Amino acid sequence: MGKGIPALEQAYEILFVAALVILAVFLMLSLVRAIIGPRVADRIVAINMMGTQTLAIIAILAVMKQEGYLADICLIYAMTSFLAVIVLSKVYMGVYRQRKEGKEEEETEDGGY
Amino acid sequence: MEVIEWIQFLAGMVLLLLGLLIFLIQMIGVFRFRYVLNRMHAAAMGDTLGIGCCLLGLIVMRGFSFTSLKLLLVIIFLWFSSPVSSHLIARLEVTTDEEPKKHYEKLVADENGTMIVCSQRVRENEAGVKKEDGDGTVF
Repeated sequence: MGKGIPALEQAYEILFVAALVILAVFLMLSLVRAIIGPRVADRIVAINMMGTQTLAIIAILAVMKQEGYLADICLIYAMTSFLAVIVLSKVYMGVYRQRKEGKEEEETEDGGY
Repeated sequence: MEVIEWIQFLAGMVLLLLGLLIFLIQMIGVFRFRYVLNRMHAAAMGDTLGIGCCLLGLIVMRGFSFTSLKLLLVIIFLWFSSPVSSHLIARLEVTTDEEPKKHYEKLVADENGTMIVCSQRVRENEAGVKKEDGDGTVF
């Protein structure tokens, strides 16, 4: 970046590194939220947030290093994190229903005795 | 021409920093709200507006090229995917909540079509039943 102007090149470098550091701090905070989140939905929301911030980091790297293929990786990463959230919520809902049905069956068995 | 490059840099910087500010607001909201459905409101803001501003700033910096076109595609994809995932997570929370009365109140429609709080309606029904009982006992 900068197109041969030394001051502009330095300004781009400082801006991108500062943005990357700030995003890394936010990523760590989201990880803390994912660990302490009391409910399952909390953790999935935190994972979704982490995916979004990683997306921003990859996009910044793509522009900073002038590598066009990183933008493709960005697109693929967006789709993958979207799929991860959908699969996690669907699977957990199924597990919850199954567990509830199992509990009800146990209760009816107890009533039968 | 040097001035144009600097203006491009400044416009991109403002948008990128705005995106980072919205990420900061998102983190504050996620840590300060009490319940998941409230926290999701803060988290969904960063998913669309925060990353939208960040990528828009990068597009302005990069100029017109294939990379910026791909980044625009990412923004459009996130506009579609974020509401869907938020909706699914909210449905997961409402389905698996064992004690919903502690956390939120459901709204139901009454006869006129206006939305009222569910527990309030139950209270009204109980009051009506009591009144009928009182009428019944007084001869």
